[in-house]
Amino acid sequence: MSLSAEPDKRSLHERIGTDWGLDAYVVGAAFLGDGLLAAALGDGRVAFIGGENTDAPSFVSVHDGACLSLAADVRGQGVLTGGDDGRLVSTDADGATTEVAAVAGKWVEPIAVSGASGLSAAVFGKTVRLFAQDGSAVATFDHANTAGGLAFDPKGRRLATAHYGGVSLWWAKAGSQEPKRLQWAGSHLNLTWSPDGKYLVSAMQENELHGWRIADSADMRMSGYPAKVKSMSWLPKGRYLATSGAREVVCWPFHGKGGPMGKAPLDLGWGFGAVVTVVAAHPKHEVIAAGYEDGAAILVEIDRPQPVLIKRPGEGAVTALAWSADGQHLAVGTEGGFVARLRLSDWRAPS
Amino acid sequence: MNQIPVTVLTGYLGAGKTTLLNRILTEQHGKKYAVVVNEFGEIGIDNDLVVDADEEVFEMNNGCICCTVRGDLIRILGGLMKRQGAFDGILIETTGLADPAPVAQTFFVDDDVRRRTWLDSIVTVVDARHVVQRLDDSHEALEQIAFADVLLLNKTDLVTTDELAQVEKRIRSINPTAVIHHTERCEVGLDSVLGRRAFDLDRILAIEPDFLSEDDHEHDDAVTSVCLRTDQPLDGGRFTGWLQRLLAERGQDLLRTKGIVSIAGKDNQFVVQAVHMLLEGSFTRRWDPEESRESRLVFIGRNIDEAALRQQFDACIA
Repeated sequence: MSLSAEPDKRSLHERIGTDWGLDAYVVGAAFLGDGLLAAALGDGRVAFIGGENTDAPSFVSVHDGACLSLAADVRGQGVLTGGDDGRLVSTDADGATTEVAAVAGKWVEPIAVSGASGLSAAVFGKTVRLFAQDGSAVATFDHANTAGGLAFDPKGRRLATAHYGGVSLWWAKAGSQEPKRLQWAGSHLNLTWSPDGKYLVSAMQENELHGWRIADSADMRMSGYPAKVKSMSWLPKGRYLATSGAREVVCWPFHGKGGPMGKAPLDLGWGFGAVVTVVAAHPKHEVIAAGYEDGAAILVEIDRPQPVLIKRPGEGAVTALAWSADGQHLAVGTEGGFVARLRLSDWRAPS
Repeated sequence: MNQIPVTVLTGYLGAGKTTLLNRILTEQHGKKYAVVVNEFGEIGIDNDLVVDADEEVFEMNNGCICCTVRGDLIRILGGLMKRQGAFDGILIETTGLADPAPVAQTFFVDDDVRRRTWLDSIVTVVDARHVVQRLDDSHEALEQIAFADVLLLNKTDLVTTDELAQVEKRIRSINPTAVIHHTERCEVGLDSVLGRRAFDLDRILAIEPDFLSEDDHEHDDAVTSVCLRTDQPLDGGRFTGWLQRLLAERGQDLLRTKGIVSIAGKDNQFVVQAVHMLLEGSFTRRWDPEESRESRLVFIGRNIDEAALRQQFDACIA
């Protein structure tokens, strides 16, 4: 039985959510403290929405052009955004902005932040810049091609960058160094490091994932996607890696010996016509929020494949999903400028 | 989300690409463009967005040896789509030494790019005075002409009528299907270069290749063209099977392929186009009862064995 066969059933959002129209492509969303939601927009603004359902969004004009990337800062009090104006900017909820770095003519995406080390990093074309918690520059790492993906290891001591031809592993510190290279032919667009630090997984131009076991640089190919994988999210303790790029939420098993090698993924949330565009795992439970190209969004549990509809199709493709750190708030954003927040208090499977 | 048209401007160094770009941007057309350039030159109009690109040509890891794409364009086009409604079209200026194939192939290969944009046409600016020399010493100049949908034969004021005729003849032998405009300082109506839909199968209404007679060929350029025609309907399975095999084996040499084909037992035209190995084909409009159901297939490429192709094509006749 698929949810699309139940047109009368109200979505979770319609029952317990609140939504806003922000009139611009939602590039990314993140929760700060107290349920405060931040969203970066395609017209260069950052929206902040307070934790009460009656709170109206406040807007800060940050970039001259589009925001391209967003991450909550290390303190969780504000956001870092990258723009197509070549600027990396820190914005607090009260609207104060500080330019962290600017390189004319370069686009700034993606951004990575390590809570463990307090470091942050952003891509400026072929150069990756590393910053301390106070925003001061620590190091720059140059590449032969534009870097597409960025990921800190769990301790925040190493930084991996994805690019054409593979991945470079840098020590997240000042001083000149030669990176360790993990090579694989093709263009690597997105990158994630497993919570146990053992695996790196990149999403490729060729509609597949490529993984490396750090210890011995062993290669893993995870293929069969009908579309590019744009979003990857680790379930708690890194037992599974949930991915977009298929009609199902494809979850690769990383628990047990050998990680996903030789194992089939779990396909969850089956039954929708559109391709999954964004996935976000709950921070504490084995639950995944998934958004689709047609604007629908679901919640699905690893051991209970029947999904719950949280948003009906419409408002353009889902482009952002975010959980608060305590898992009590979920935000959904779309390319049509729709943002919804659901307050789930303590997790129990919604029915 | 609305799809945005993309026009690619190519041309050898000094041919006049930037002149054409500025002409498009300054014309009073009420439209806003995003312009992708490789170095900020003397352009930049208030309303338009200029994006600096590095031509990052990537090989696709998909078993297709000549399949290269512009990785930077995939990223830039994706980023531009976040600025909804901010512009009406995208212009991509390539460097003078660029091979147009990776740009064109990007629009065949990347699904996100296909979903949000369409490749409107490849416009090549040619310096009428220097092109003959360029064709002798630069394979890029040759490829830029071979790939063009629209050719601006520019700087015509710097050559004599006879020289111009010679140049046009030579260009025609390389690319028989492009629309050629004679220009001075790239003065041309914008409707001649924008909104062409040259890659839209439904708009490839008629291919009327302008072929020269055999004795007109005075030069043997590395890139040539051939047009195969027949009034007899083709066998659908045999034709598509042959074309797929041919492009898989010879796609590196075959730069562009275009055809309108009459398939036995079908009332609609079958239209094909390819950039190297990347082939698209579909049935489009019905044949008009009044028109001759002539199949026409044009190849532009290197090392073309016309007799062999003709024989293989004729073997597809139903």
